Amino acid sequence: MIVRVKNLVKRYGDLVALDHLSLTVNEGEIFGLLGPNGSGKTTAINCILSLLKYDKGEVEIFGRPMAPDAYDIKRDIGIVMQNVAVYNELTVYGNIDYFCGLYIKDKNERKRLVEEAIDFVGLRDFTKFYPKKLSGGLLRRLNIACGIAHKPKLIILDEPTVAVDPQSRNRILEGIMELNRQGATVIYTSHYMEEVERICTRIMILDKGRAIATGTKDELKAMITMNEKITVESFGITDEHISEIRKLPNIISVEYKDNLLVIKSGKGKNSFETVLDFIRKNEIRFDKIYSELPTLNDVFLEITGKELRD
Amino acid sequence: MFVHIFAYRLKCLMRDWETILWTMVFPLVLGTFFYMAFSNLYTNEIFNPINIAVINDEQYAKNKSFREALEEVSTGDERLFNLSETTIDEANELLNENLIDGYIVVEMPIKLVVNNSGINQSIVKSFIDNYIHASSAVETILSIEPEQIQKIIDDIGNRETYVSEKKSTGGEPNTILLYFYTLIAMTCFYGGFFGMREINDIQADISSVAARVNAAPVHKIKAFLFSAAASVLIQLVEVLVLISYLVFMLKLDFGSKTGFVLLTAFIGTITGFSFGAFISAVVKKSEGIKVAVIVGVTMICCFFAGMMQHEIKYIISRKAPVLSYVNPLNLLTDSFYSLYYYDTFSRYFKNIILLTVFIAVFCSGTYLMIRRRKYASI
Repeated sequence: MIVRVKNLVKRYGDLVALDHLSLTVNEGEIFGLLGPNGSGKTTAINCILSLLKYDKGEVEIFGRPMAPDAYDIKRDIGIVMQNVAVYNELTVYGNIDYFCGLYIKDKNERKRLVEEAIDFVGLRDFTKFYPKKLSGGLLRRLNIACGIAHKPKLIILDEPTVAVDPQSRNRILEGIMELNRQGATVIYTSHYMEEVERICTRIMILDKGRAIATGTKDELKAMITMNEKITVESFGITDEHISEIRKLPNIISVEYKDNLLVIKSGKGKNSFETVLDFIRKNEIRFDKIYSELPTLNDVFLEITGKELRD
Repeated sequence: MFVHIFAYRLKCLMRDWETILWTMVFPLVLGTFFYMAFSNLYTNEIFNPINIAVINDEQYAKNKSFREALEEVSTGDERLFNLSETTIDEANELLNENLIDGYIVVEMPIKLVVNNSGINQSIVKSFIDNYIHASSAVETILSIEPEQIQKIIDDIGNRETYVSEKKSTGGEPNTILLYFYTLIAMTCFYGGFFGMREINDIQADISSVAARVNAAPVHKIKAFLFSAAASVLIQLVEVLVLISYLVFMLKLDFGSKTGFVLLTAFIGTITGFSFGAFISAVVKKSEGIKVAVIVGVTMICCFFAGMMQHEIKYIISRKAPVLSYVNPLNLLTDSFYSLYYYDTFSRYFKNIILLTVFIAVFCSGTYLMIRRRKYASI
């Protein structure tokens, strides 16, 4: 076990930011902390890193209690902050070298690691650039390079893709998976469910400082009653149609809004064919009809009653 | 680790043009303006010989004693008058063109002709009155005791001075230097910007960079001290550049105690840096507010140290001496002035000890604020 958090409680006055949060991160995992803004993801990370005081609970990393002066533990952790944390007066190379130097004393080894990090994040052509000259995506890549250059065993990335273009986001996510393949254990926080679904091997969904579900993406989706979501783009849906669709087998909910008919069906047999037959039989004109498997947003919606994006 | 952090910190700070501008370029420019403004004041205090004329007629030729007295004060480097012997018409013309302050007509009594009143005219008038009194005294005594003529002449030539000036110092009093010394004190306190930045870059609840440093396997206070060493070095160099500029370019006098001047610059730099660090650690507001506090306190202290009007410093030291002791900029200014003016060190060391107390207070306060390694909120 790489990280173990037990009953972590963090209060800001009357606000409970973390409410008896417990989690474990195993070696080789990409562990996702998923939740809307303000759900306690960053607070949890800062508590795990011993940057933030907490009211109650225990944090162990690599089997040892985490503390501000636990330098042996810190040496094997890489941190990529939500906000870009670099010096504007240092070049790309200077920034990576500076932060790597806080972990690695040997000059030659440090040089090798810095070069590797530059290639890894694809900043080879920008080594002499100052941060202000970099685009948002390149800046995020620099932020990551500063956090991972010393080849840590545990990498903590706190929303590293906020305000990043799709191309850079893709590259960052690929990079994280590559780091994991190279042996690093990763804790990844995000409010983008697509990213978490794509890269994380295990996911914890947070809401209001509480863990509301933990598991692989399949395990999480299995927790809810919905099995399939069928969407029909049509102008000709009447209230009678909606009532009749509700009576079809295995249908758990029907909503019609802005010319979109959304039908959710439960576990068991797929309902797509049944719905398509109903539409044909009633000669309902439609533009598109498609079926989707449940997403983590559906999981969040069913458990909390609100959208993850809210 | 020291070399790594120190070297990168130097690089960082030397590229921080905005801070360099305010802490080095601004004092140099201000010093130049001071020099341009005060050098004129200084010129006005130097005595220039007064341009006068005397009507070169028969009466003047006859009055040998007056002619000799006038010629005596009109020769040499420290002469009182630039004397021209002219006709009455030439004298009037010179007076109308303001080329002379007045002209003397030797008749009974000796007459001074001027166009307007002023200090120069008063000096000429005073000279003539002195001469008339002295010659009148000689004539009176001669009429009573003619045998005393030689003694009278000796007495007039040998004036006794009953009050003598005894200097306790090798330096000349010079209030203008005070303005430049307050400028150096201000520059030392602009080192507060570096102190502020060091705190911002080590407190995880202030900046992301600091959070990253706090998450690294480096002792927080050590990292701060290594960084601070680079800041203090840069600020010290800036202060020394300013002092060198004042000494070598503007030719200002700092006395002969060079080693102590450098020591004062160093202590001033430490005081300024620790002041900025203390303000940044204590004031839990935005960077703009912190800058405003540092600049505001520095300028108020500069004012009370005499930067805008040197008499303020003396008024405070007379009416509210405690204020002059609790003003670190005044202590710095006074330290430089003590080195320039006094031969003894008692006043200088008193200032330095008080500055050291300030450093201790600022550093202790800063340490108490930044020693914690976990934060209540980030």
